[in-house]
Amino acid sequence: MKERVEKLIKAIHEITPKDRKIKIMNVCGSHEHTITHSGMRSLMPENVELVPGPGCPVCVCSESDIINAINLSKRDDTILVTYGDMLRVPTQIGSIRSNGRNYKMVSAPHEVLKIAKENSDKNVVFFSIGFETTTAPTAALIETGLPENVTILTSQKLTPEIMEILVKDSEVGVDAFVAPGHVSAIVGANAWKVFPEKYGIPTVVAGFEPENLLLAIFRILLQIKEGIAELENVYRGVVKPEGNRKAQELMYKYFEKTDVNWRGIGYIPESGLEFRKEYDHINAKKVFNLPEIEEKKVPGCICDRIVLGKAYPDECKLFGTACTPRDPKGPCMVSMEGACNIWYRFGTR
Amino acid sequence: MKIEIGHGSGGKLTRELIENLFLKYFSFPELKSLQDASYLQTETGKIAITTDSYVVSPYFFPGGDIGSLSVSGTVNDLTVSGAVPRFISVGFILEEGLKFSDLEKIVESMAETAKKAGVKIVAGDTKVVEKGKCDGLYINTTGIGEVVKPLSPEFAKPGDVVIITGFVGDHGIAISLAREEFDVETGVLSDCAPLNSLLVPLFDVKGLKWMRDPTRGGLATVLIEFSEMSGLGVRLYEEKIPVREEVQFVCEMLGYDPLYLANEGKTVIVVDRKDAETVLEKLRAHPLGENAEIIGEVTDKTRDVRLVTSIGGERRLELLEEDPLPRIC
Repeated sequence: MKERVEKLIKAIHEITPKDRKIKIMNVCGSHEHTITHSGMRSLMPENVELVPGPGCPVCVCSESDIINAINLSKRDDTILVTYGDMLRVPTQIGSIRSNGRNYKMVSAPHEVLKIAKENSDKNVVFFSIGFETTTAPTAALIETGLPENVTILTSQKLTPEIMEILVKDSEVGVDAFVAPGHVSAIVGANAWKVFPEKYGIPTVVAGFEPENLLLAIFRILLQIKEGIAELENVYRGVVKPEGNRKAQELMYKYFEKTDVNWRGIGYIPESGLEFRKEYDHINAKKVFNLPEIEEKKVPGCICDRIVLGKAYPDECKLFGTACTPRDPKGPCMVSMEGACNIWYRFGTR
Repeated sequence: MKIEIGHGSGGKLTRELIENLFLKYFSFPELKSLQDASYLQTETGKIAITTDSYVVSPYFFPGGDIGSLSVSGTVNDLTVSGAVPRFISVGFILEEGLKFSDLEKIVESMAETAKKAGVKIVAGDTKVVEKGKCDGLYINTTGIGEVVKPLSPEFAKPGDVVIITGFVGDHGIAISLAREEFDVETGVLSDCAPLNSLLVPLFDVKGLKWMRDPTRGGLATVLIEFSEMSGLGVRLYEEKIPVREEVQFVCEMLGYDPLYLANEGKTVIVVDRKDAETVLEKLRAHPLGENAEIIGEVTDKTRDVRLVTSIGGERRLELLEEDPLPRIC
């Protein structure tokens, strides 16, 4: 592996046009993990920046949804169930763990069934958050038949849609995308075609080993050198052009695209999934008539800019001092997929 | 403010506790070095003293038990301070209901380890607390040794070589798997062992500067501390650091970093470059040091431990704030 890696790095240096800055964005926490953990930034030509984008679903989950979850957990007749990271995300009224009451952690949606069975006298609300990779298993859970006492508070986001917003934002100035391998396995490589075709942005689907990521970066730089923009896939063993049709069908059987609120960013048209009308009876927002709560920004926190690739974690005044994984002030410090958390654990630039 | 588990991690919070509380009230010059043992000047010579409490859970684990650990740990703290360990005292805190047969096994294991290390257990104390007030038993040991080779991070200079005496992370993984939170068969044993027979022969190497057993917080944490105390940097090479395949596998599964996992039978050594081969030869000639490797060097970059990764990139190693595995020793 070492030899191939060395060759790739050498080739990257050789082909990179030196006359301007090149900003390559990843939109996946696991890519950012590999880049930071392997020290990949230190191996890039000086004018090539590897920027973390909106790759962490925990980081962009709307504050309103989390506050609703906290409040649901305070009801005597209700148990809130969600993923471990979500318990610690700070909001203006604290986190689920610090301010909630009846809550349980799961690592996969099907575990909700066991909790529902053991608590048949309670409402069990599954707070389902994430990108396409978690929406599909949630849809599969519904398909198997939800017990009567289970409803779902959904906060599902779509990756390609937020990336389109980034492309249009001149402050971000993205030159190319490394597209996320896991999400692509569901939505298919073709979901990213819009970026080269409509916006002229080279896009390469990559896996998570350093070598595979370096290959993606090489392919991107080669496109830039040749002045072309194409969709490529260097993670072909896992990602098919059309993705996982069955998972897509299941997702769109229960959910439909809608405008959703991204924390720190605001509402983005058609960038998330909400229950179709016929499933109001399992939609916790409808069943419990949940309000929309106005977001309050944490003073000093720049998570909103970090998520959009406009700033690096170590440019935040709170990073590593007031805001740490043990006592996170902003959402990007919570999850192991959050850029601030990754940078805190594995050292900065 | 309340005490958290992290205050016992050996990392950032432990240090804050020591600096902001203990050193504020215990302002003795002997304590200032903050090494594993303190040097005391007597009329007849220099002695080293160290103390350590053991709260490991579970108290029997693959490759050792709280008894062998409590003797090895203290012997090792003296040895890495350049002292020949001589005497040990033992304090037991026992929980009402602890099986006598368990205690006997542990005491027997302490005696065996002491014999192996050539130290005498010469003072003791026993207390029993009510059921539920402690988790089986805790042991404190204090050790005294004769200083032969005073060592200090301040002796280090740029260009010195960093050596590890063998595979890192074994103890941490053995304990984590012994807790049966995960059902993985690996056969990894704790490396728990007294290291004086391995290390005392190094005392006559002129260029030996500093040693430390990377227990809590692992290799990364002790080198970050070394860097801060010496005011020098360290560059480590990921590929050179010996990690067992099984340990690497469990680390990847559970999200641990072997560089931060506890060891109970390893030592990090900083030595003058010209004596590095001599040290390596001596180590490799001993069964406890046969996998010793040169893993890095001291640089003049201040207060910075950098890891050259397997793809040749560089990243800075930071102190961990949260303890991935509390009660490891």
